Amino acid sequence: MDKLIHLWEATGIHQITPGQGVMILIGMLLLYLAIKKNFEPLLLVPIGFGGVLANIPGAGLAEAGGILHIFYTVGIESGAFPLIIFMGVGAMTDFGPLLANPKTLFLGAAAQFGIFATLMGAVVLSYYGIFDFSLSDAAAIGIIGGADGPTSIYVASKLAPDLLGAIAVASYSYMALVPLIQPPIMRALTSESERKIKMVQQRHVSQREKIVFPLLLLILVAFLLPDAAPLLGMFCFGNLMKECAVVDRLSNTTQNSLINTVTIFLGLAVGSKLSADKFLDLQTLGILVLGMGAFAIGTACGVLMAKILNKLIKEPINPLIGSAGVSAVPMAARVSNKMGLESDPHNFLLMHAMGPNVAGVIGSAVAAGILINYIGA
Amino acid sequence: MTASNLMTEGLNLMLVGMGFVFVFLTLLVIITTFMSKIITSYEKNVGVLPEEGIPAPTAVISQAMSAKQHANDDKNLITILSAAVHKFRSRHK
Repeated sequence: MDKLIHLWEATGIHQITPGQGVMILIGMLLLYLAIKKNFEPLLLVPIGFGGVLANIPGAGLAEAGGILHIFYTVGIESGAFPLIIFMGVGAMTDFGPLLANPKTLFLGAAAQFGIFATLMGAVVLSYYGIFDFSLSDAAAIGIIGGADGPTSIYVASKLAPDLLGAIAVASYSYMALVPLIQPPIMRALTSESERKIKMVQQRHVSQREKIVFPLLLLILVAFLLPDAAPLLGMFCFGNLMKECAVVDRLSNTTQNSLINTVTIFLGLAVGSKLSADKFLDLQTLGILVLGMGAFAIGTACGVLMAKILNKLIKEPINPLIGSAGVSAVPMAARVSNKMGLESDPHNFLLMHAMGPNVAGVIGSAVAAGILINYIGA
Repeated sequence: MTASNLMTEGLNLMLVGMGFVFVFLTLLVIITTFMSKIITSYEKNVGVLPEEGIPAPTAVISQAMSAKQHANDDKNLITILSAAVHKFRSRHK
C-alpha cells in the first residue's frame, strides 16, 4: 500500500499546481500559433515545447540539474547562443542595398526611438506605482522595440534575466505580427501621393565595397562603443565570411546548420524561463503592452524620419520604407513593398526597403550596447 | 533608487542613447560614403573583383578536352562496353 501511495504521489496529477497547468496551456497556445498560424514557427515551436517541458510537475527539467536549465546556463546565461545566431544572421545579410544608399541608415536610427520611448514608458509606469520595474528591467523591455530576437535575448540575459521569458515571447510574437501592426500606422502617417513616390534605381555595389564594409563597421564599433562589440563583432564576422567568398564552407555552415542547431537549443532554453512563478505575473502583461507600444513607436518614427529626409535631400525617398527601420528582417521590408504595390502596382520597394532593414539591425545592436554600458556602469 | 531619481535616470538614458545612436550611424554614413568613393575610383583603374570570388587553386589540373577528343573517348567507351556485354551474354547462355 505504501508503494501505491508513493506512486500516486509521484504522478503529475497529484503534484500539479494551477500555475503549471496554465503555463502548459500557454505553451500549447504558442505551439498552436506556430503550427497553425505560422507565427515565427522556427522559434515558437521550440519555445512553446520548452515551456511545456519546463512545467511538467515533478520532472524539474527547468530546475538546477534539469536539461533545460543546463541549456539555459550554457547558452543564454553565458550570452553564447544569441551571439552565435547573430553571426549566422550576419552571414545571411546582404549589405548591398545599404551601401547603394547609405542615407537609409538614418531611417534605421530613427526607428530605434521605439526602444527608448518604451524604456521611458516603463519608467513612468513605475513612477506612478502601476508596475515595479527597475531601470535595467525598463531597458530590457525597451529593447523589444528593436524587433530583433537575438538582441532582445542578449540584453535581457544581461540586464533582467527574470523577465527573459516574457521578453523573448513578446519579441518573437510581435515580429510575427509585423504585417498586422505596421500597415495601419504607415497608412495614417503618409498621404496617397507620398506612397506613390518612385525611388531611383540602385547603383551596382562592387564586391570590394561589400568586403570592406563589415571591417569598417567593426573598427567604428571598436573605437566608439566596445559594449556593442560582442553583437556587432559576431555580425561583422559572419558577414565577412559570406562576402569574402574564400571560406564558402564556413559561411554555409554558419548560415545553415550552425544557426539551426543553436536555434533549437535557444528556443528550448527560452522555454525553460516560462515557469509559472515568473511568467504568471502582472508584469508580463505590462511587458506585452509596452512591447507593442515599442513596435508602433519605432515604425512611426521610421516613417516620419523618411518624410524629413525627403524634405532635406533631392533624391526622393518613399516614406513607406521608413517603417523597415525596425529590424525584423525581412518581414518589415516585405510589408513596405506590399504597401507600395497597393498604391502603385509598378512600384517595387523591396530592395530599397532592405537598406533601412539591415540598418535597423545595426541600430538596435548599437542601442543594446548603450543600454548595457549605461546600466552596467 | 527613489521614484523621481528613476525618472531622471530614464530620461537621461533616453537622451544619451538616442543621441549616441544618431551620432554612430551618422559617422557610419559618412565613412561608408567615403569608402565607396575611394573604392569606385580605385576600381576604375584595376577592375572589379569577380562576384563569386577568386577561384581557389586545386591540386587537380582541369583537363581541357576538345570536342574531337570527347567524341573519340565516347567511341572507345562504346567499343569496350559492347565487348563486355558480348562476353557476358556468351557466358550466360
